[in-house]
Amino acid sequence: MNPNDEPAPDRPATDRLDARKLAASRREAMRRRARRIRRSVAGLAVALFTAAFLAVYVQLASGHDPALTAAKRRTSATSLKASAEQTSTEAAPAEESSTSSSGESSSGESSSSSTGAESSSTETSESPSAVTTSQS
Amino acid sequence: MTSTQVSLLATATGPHLFWIVSRAAGIAALILASVSVCFGLLMGGRLVKRRGPEMRIAHEALSLATLAAIVIHGLTLLGDAFLHPTLADISVPFLSGYKTLWTSMGIIAFWGLALLGLSYYARTKIGAQRWRKLHRFTALAWVLGLAHSLGEGTDAGQAWFLAMCAIVALPALTLLTARMLGRPSSPATSVRKARPRAQLSLRPAPADSNAHHRH
Repeated sequence: MNPNDEPAPDRPATDRLDARKLAASRREAMRRRARRIRRSVAGLAVALFTAAFLAVYVQLASGHDPALTAAKRRTSATSLKASAEQTSTEAAPAEESSTSSSGESSSGESSSSSTGAESSSTETSESPSAVTTSQS
Repeated sequence: MTSTQVSLLATATGPHLFWIVSRAAGIAALILASVSVCFGLLMGGRLVKRRGPEMRIAHEALSLATLAAIVIHGLTLLGDAFLHPTLADISVPFLSGYKTLWTSMGIIAFWGLALLGLSYYARTKIGAQRWRKLHRFTALAWVLGLAHSLGEGTDAGQAWFLAMCAIVALPALTLLTARMLGRPSSPATSVRKARPRAQLSLRPAPADSNAHHRH
């Protein structure tokens, strides 16, 4: 039996084994890299969400939130406009009653008293908005 | 910061917790989507020659993270006391009464991203070539999402938000414009694309007809 004949069929088998091992190790390395990438992306997503949450939270807590500030501005502007309209409509009848005759003085008094009551009501209606504005 | 201050902050933001979570998730989704679109365009335009498998994995992970963030963005709105939307309001376009156009844009963008993105897992059934053609429309869904955030976003007028948008969206928009204009991304790519045609025309017809089909 020729000793040179034996290694010949074994060598391709060992080569094949080595190639398989190499392929398996490469596949494993790729799998490990993929896991690492997925983990870093998940970490990045969580970090982004946390940063955005903190930014919005601090903005809101410090009273600089764009939506809430705009809403408050709108509310205060509306209440101011309403109170101005009320005082202008109430001032006209008051002027009329003051220029009226002595026989109509009782009605004038009543109207002035009602104006006073309304003005006090507008003051009370304005006061909560003023408080909220000062809080903001 | 004292415990009193912390409790004061918690009380001040307590009713808006769902809203804050939704906004944060929306911002995170926008950034993740923009980065994912960048990766996709870089891969599709063959601008990156190495690290192809890694980029594909990162693109896939970023897309899934984007979808998760959008789901959080929408679902947390269900708990918001101000909007108080129904599930249909946040999932069906043109149904919500609140800024209908911008909201619908966001909803269409989400469905577009979800369907075109998740179709990757069914590309063998769809056909790789057809899937690749369909997948190009993901960029359109991303543009719709960007328009939704700029048109309806609470922080859209804020300098930090606009700066962030510019940082993440401008590179993607530049890549997208370059892709749409059909400019060759690099000389190497054009050579690579041209070579097989020349080889095919010069090469004699293969004896085995199956060999041609394998290409």
